[in-house]
Amino acid sequence: MSNKPEIREIAPGVRLCSVQTDRFKTGAVSFSMALPLEGDMAANAALPFILHRSCRRYPEFSALNGRLDELYGASLSAGVAKIGESQALTISLTAIDDRFSLAGESVAQNCADLLADLLFDPDLPESVFHEKAVEREKRLLIEKMKSERKDKRVYALQRCEELMCAGEKYALNKYSTREDIESLTGERLYTAWRRALETSLIQAVSVSSGTSAGIAETFGKAFSEIRRSPVRPATAFIKSAKETRKAEEKLPVKQGKLVLGFRAGMDNPLDGTAAARVMTDIYGGGTYSKLFMKVREELSLCYYCSARLNNHKGLLMVQSGIESEKAAEAEAEILRQLDAVKKGDILANEFDASLMSICDHRLSIEDSPAELNSWYTAQIFREDIMTPMEDAADIRAVTLDEVVSRAEKVTLDTVYLLSGNGEAHEDED
Amino acid sequence: MRIEQIQNSLLGESYTEIDHSSGLKIFVMPKAGYSSAYAVFAAKYGSIDTKIPAADGAFREIPEGTAHFLEHKLFESEELGAFERFAKTGASANAYTSFDRTGYLFSCTDNFRKSLEILLDFVQKPYFTEATVAKEQGIIGQEIRMYKDVPDWQVLFNLLRSLYTAHPVRIDIAGTQESIARITAQTLYDCYKNFYNPSNMVLAVAGNANVEDVLEAADKLLQPGDGVKASREFVKEPPEPARNYYEEKLPVNTPQFMLGFKEDIQTPERTTIERLCANILLEIIAGKSSPLYKRLLEAGLINAGFSFEYFEGFGYSCPIFAGESKDPVKAAEEIKNEIRGIKANGIDAAAFARAKRKLYGRLVMMYNDVDELANELASAYFAGNGLFDDIELCKALTLDSVIARLAALFEERYSSLSVIKPL
Repeated sequence: MSNKPEIREIAPGVRLCSVQTDRFKTGAVSFSMALPLEGDMAANAALPFILHRSCRRYPEFSALNGRLDELYGASLSAGVAKIGESQALTISLTAIDDRFSLAGESVAQNCADLLADLLFDPDLPESVFHEKAVEREKRLLIEKMKSERKDKRVYALQRCEELMCAGEKYALNKYSTREDIESLTGERLYTAWRRALETSLIQAVSVSSGTSAGIAETFGKAFSEIRRSPVRPATAFIKSAKETRKAEEKLPVKQGKLVLGFRAGMDNPLDGTAAARVMTDIYGGGTYSKLFMKVREELSLCYYCSARLNNHKGLLMVQSGIESEKAAEAEAEILRQLDAVKKGDILANEFDASLMSICDHRLSIEDSPAELNSWYTAQIFREDIMTPMEDAADIRAVTLDEVVSRAEKVTLDTVYLLSGNGEAHEDED
Repeated sequence: MRIEQIQNSLLGESYTEIDHSSGLKIFVMPKAGYSSAYAVFAAKYGSIDTKIPAADGAFREIPEGTAHFLEHKLFESEELGAFERFAKTGASANAYTSFDRTGYLFSCTDNFRKSLEILLDFVQKPYFTEATVAKEQGIIGQEIRMYKDVPDWQVLFNLLRSLYTAHPVRIDIAGTQESIARITAQTLYDCYKNFYNPSNMVLAVAGNANVEDVLEAADKLLQPGDGVKASREFVKEPPEPARNYYEEKLPVNTPQFMLGFKEDIQTPERTTIERLCANILLEIIAGKSSPLYKRLLEAGLINAGFSFEYFEGFGYSCPIFAGESKDPVKAAEEIKNEIRGIKANGIDAAAFARAKRKLYGRLVMMYNDVDELANELASAYFAGNGLFDDIELCKALTLDSVIARLAALFEERYSSLSVIKPL
């Protein structure tokens, strides 16, 4: 079942996107602020985390979490994502729907109030964030950054993107650098908070059984006291690679990781996206794709091998887990499969399987509040918001010719190999 | 064939439970307004099932990792592989092997009936040859190597090997390079025959599906079994762990730990009440609103990745605390101190009330996800429970029942600490 979300502008550059449905047992609200990938990125990155750990009403972390327990284990989370060349800061709150509260109280209104407290009324004992809270947040953010890089799949992908986009804003880590985080102060965080509320592009997404009138009113009131001058972050696109760079690092790992970074031939996030998505999927999406069937199943060159399109930056990334000594062979085969797509060497059943699978995935988004949330949050920069159903219609209209013509625009930029059995050395961060 | 409707008025949910004539248990839980359906066809056969009966009635050992190996191989057939067949319906298919079961699954928004028929068909058609087994040994060998690089995985299995001396929960789900080298096509056929019997399996469907479709497909495709359930041996553990501490070095930046408390159990399975009480206790001890969490966080002994779980299954039971820490030994000491304190001073009634409310809310939230519901239907059935037992019993939990569980679950002598240190 598809629900067209209701879109409301509740302040300049502040959009509320609400999906009203009683399919779910929960009500969920997420609040995202997008800023350009520049300036005090460390303070921006720490912001959603410090905001979600206390507020003036619940200055103690334990008291805030006790409140969440009372709200039937409402789940509060914070995160930072890179959407193209922008830093998107998000805080989300999910709780059971009012129908299931045991004492008949409105969990939804309580949650909206709590979220507003966290965002607009932080604990600022001396007009800035408390030093102790800032110190704790610095440590947690640095450890979070390290922890994410512990997963060698993530690490290899990040390294390839950093090398590939060297000199572009996109190469910057979404949390900034360890040094920048270490130097953070309560004052810088306070400035970042004010700047985010005043200048970021903001979108709140609500998925719940009730109307979003309560949230619109609560947030509308909060924004009425803020002078907004929103700045729209822009992303620079490089349509094609000039030459192919190669890099290899050694770490004492048992399985090697090979990442191939391509420029997808796009010059904006909406440039032929539907066709580019289908092309990427036929190349390395599902279990019917060329990378899966040929490189993994038939030739056993990789344990996993898949392609993903990042339309926000025009990148197509192929990730694989390999035996390091087979790196050259795997790379050649991965490229050979791209050539096959470019030549239109695509069977009717591969093409059909891809359209069906992407559409199937789109429609299933409607059955998960978390996925609906991510779906709409990813469209924070779009003027006309698309439902998963509308996107599926675009996918269905893609032709084989369009797929081939998108593939022809793809150029190899960087090949990154993380190979095993190397000497131990420290991560640079 | 018996068909029964099970309802829960609190949640406004219901499902149909069917004893199919083939011997298979079937559950169908339609979800109003959902576009997608999720189906899982599972066998009560996991990595802990390391023995099968021989012709003379005695048990004989099978190589570690066979359940997982069989799962990989079942996707192939003499003609078209399962993935290729699902590609024609748009469904996304997958499979998993856990400690106590193997599940084959798909999710789809269209062509449900066709996909269900593929699922029922391919799982019932084993096809193994020495050549395909040899090829899979290479692929799974890679998978085993990959997991050796994953600290989260290593820290868990090092802990299980420390806590358990006899129980097969201590072996890696995928086995080892050496153990899988001993698997032959005949091993797979033997295990298939023993475990993939309708009476030892379950089919659970949730979402955009109806009972009629499921029954028609089942009637058409299910082959009747001999009605024999595979038996599972209760491997009795000594209460003491094999060792209290173990560490390994891997390329990580921050040390990582898992602290587990082995429960000395006399029966293989825990009751729903015992399980719920364990979860509430963990929340009271180390939940985000607890004094311990605050102390650990402020002392810099844990970070946002700190977590806990009640890890249990047939013949094993242990609460586990996990996280990254600059000083795992000190973090573990703090946790043990807190438990000692709670044992001495009792449980705060307000903390109990909060934890119970949270557990109730989280149980309600589970009913959003069709994948979670179908898998939960399957796992509750294998454990001898009903899907709605958790939420109904949670409402009735008392502080006394939780206090009664405290002593048995957190016995310090039976604990062990597993640590991953940077190279």
